[in-house]
Amino acid sequence: MFGKHSKNIALFLIMAFIIALMSFFLPDKFLTVVNFQSMASQIPEFGLLAIAMMIALITGGIDLSVVSITSLTGVVSALILKQFTNTQIGGASIFFTITMAILAAIVLSMFCGFINGFLIANVGVPPILATLGTQGLFLGIAIIITHGHGISTFPEKFLFIGSGKISIIPMPLIIFIVCTLLVALILKKTSLGISMYMVGSNPIAARFSGINNDGILIRTYIITGLLAGVSSIIMISRVNSIRPGYGYAYLLQAILVAVLGGTDPSGGFGSVLGVVMGIVILQVLQSGFNILAFSPFFKKFIWGLMLLLVMIINFVIARYLQRVKKLKISTSV
Amino acid sequence: MLKKIFKHNETYLFFVLVVFSIVITIINPSFLTFENFFDLIKSSAGMTILTMGVLIVLLSGGIDVSFTAIAIAGQYISANVLIASGIDNLYLAFLISCSSGIALGAINALLISIFELPTLITTLGTLNVFHGALLAFVGTKAINTAQLPNCFKLFGHKDLYTLMRADGTNYGLSVYVLPLIGVIILTWFILRFTMLGRGIYAIGGNKEAAKRAGINIVGIQFFIYCYVGFLAGIMGVMHISLIRYGNPMYIVGDELSVIAAVVLGGARITGGSGSILGTLLGVAMITILQKNLVLIGLSSYWHQFFIGLIIIAGVSTTYYRNKLISKRSIALISG
Repeated sequence: MFGKHSKNIALFLIMAFIIALMSFFLPDKFLTVVNFQSMASQIPEFGLLAIAMMIALITGGIDLSVVSITSLTGVVSALILKQFTNTQIGGASIFFTITMAILAAIVLSMFCGFINGFLIANVGVPPILATLGTQGLFLGIAIIITHGHGISTFPEKFLFIGSGKISIIPMPLIIFIVCTLLVALILKKTSLGISMYMVGSNPIAARFSGINNDGILIRTYIITGLLAGVSSIIMISRVNSIRPGYGYAYLLQAILVAVLGGTDPSGGFGSVLGVVMGIVILQVLQSGFNILAFSPFFKKFIWGLMLLLVMIINFVIARYLQRVKKLKISTSV
Repeated sequence: MLKKIFKHNETYLFFVLVVFSIVITIINPSFLTFENFFDLIKSSAGMTILTMGVLIVLLSGGIDVSFTAIAIAGQYISANVLIASGIDNLYLAFLISCSSGIALGAINALLISIFELPTLITTLGTLNVFHGALLAFVGTKAINTAQLPNCFKLFGHKDLYTLMRADGTNYGLSVYVLPLIGVIILTWFILRFTMLGRGIYAIGGNKEAAKRAGINIVGIQFFIYCYVGFLAGIMGVMHISLIRYGNPMYIVGDELSVIAAVVLGGARITGGSGSILGTLLGVAMITILQKNLVLIGLSSYWHQFFIGLIIIAGVSTTYYRNKLISKRSIALISG
């Protein structure tokens, strides 16, 4: 009954139930191509952050700086986009500019991730405090660069990343699918991924079985940063502007979705499939709340409550399973 | 003896603070006056009270980020009750604010002790639940100075001790030092002289060992998170009295600087170590830095950056030293 895939089956049932509920009660607003397209273009932003959070949680850590990395890389690539479009006009240079902006975002976000990894692995700071500090640091740099103002209106060709479509599939969704497949591949099929699970479930045992824990942690946070960087490119392209601190609510949602998707906050467990289903559940609820015109404060309340409820339910199930196991052992003896 | 002194984080912090103050005094001589000193105490009293709570949570091996939401909830609810009932009594305001703070703290404690949830994620959740509920169900309207009951204004304005400036006008030491010193002494007493305090250190050092030693972990965790709520309640009333304006959007978002002050003071989330003296030095450092950023020639945009930098510098020195010590002890055992 509670096999290896039980969590994912339960998640699938919840997802199907919520979608059915929404389709039943709000058929003319929920079941439209436009609504699905808008959901599909909103998913990638916090979805990528949730996947990043999952990776950090799997290694027994957490990354509170993801949204700040998004702000910082977003601001830097926005500045590059503005700088070049102001001085140069012409087809080739625009593509050059866009490539530069994306490259800068990728390199910078990986560097931010490296700083996190360095502090956690080499200096020995607990992930909570290290990323709490870099959360302020990265956001602070973004604020210093822009003086707290926003930057907006980018070249039209760049906006394709965030709001373009290939036939009817939004571009962000394609990027998101590619990224999640890559992460799933890394986690399941490479020694890096398997080492991440081992470091997360028991760091001392991992070290004694010949794993370079420090190296694994640094690479983990580089990947986390990179995903935040990709998310920032999609974000600035979809919203066509960036302001330091934009998307702060995504931090809670990313943790919520990661935990909802079956990731264990104490490390060692978590799957991409589960988190993706968690993302879909959250997005469907989000679109339902938007249709019902809930205030942002009420949503804040609901998301927080959901996070706590999911964790309580996980605890109760784990406790129950433990009891069943004990019973089995005592009866077999 | 000297070697022992230099082993402590507080010593380094103290020297940094002294050097920093000398630099600021050279740039601006008005820094080293009683007036500025009194002003710093008044404006940092609320934050200091919060740091005492965060210190205790860190000592017990947890972290709390929901205290800002608790403070603003206590403040907003108590001010609104006073306005609605027409009772103009400061003690009632403290009573309402602190008891709602304790109630919200008990919710944190319930989740953390009974359901054994991770402290950071739990309090991040309750931060959103408390603040979201306050804004969605209680209200979002700001309380302006005219509406604000008189007792708050009097409390914010009252001086315990007045001095005279050269031009004949008065300035003084705010009455805020009373709750400030009260809370510091209370926290010090609990940590130093009670079984409760020993239990807090024990849980932070090794939870499993503490359980085996017969320490009531659930009870102590309830005390810790309720105490944080209680302190947040006090801070909420002090805050609204100081700025004479109540906005339910305030305070939330300042968690980082409070936690920065505590970790700068050397409190470790993993080890049951940390001291009140270190925390107070941490608060002094952060307050002086915040107040004087402009003086050094940096605009307020640098604020966030410096808070982040301070946290990183503080935790890096604390934990790196720890790592070196443990490496050395491993080398000693094996070699």
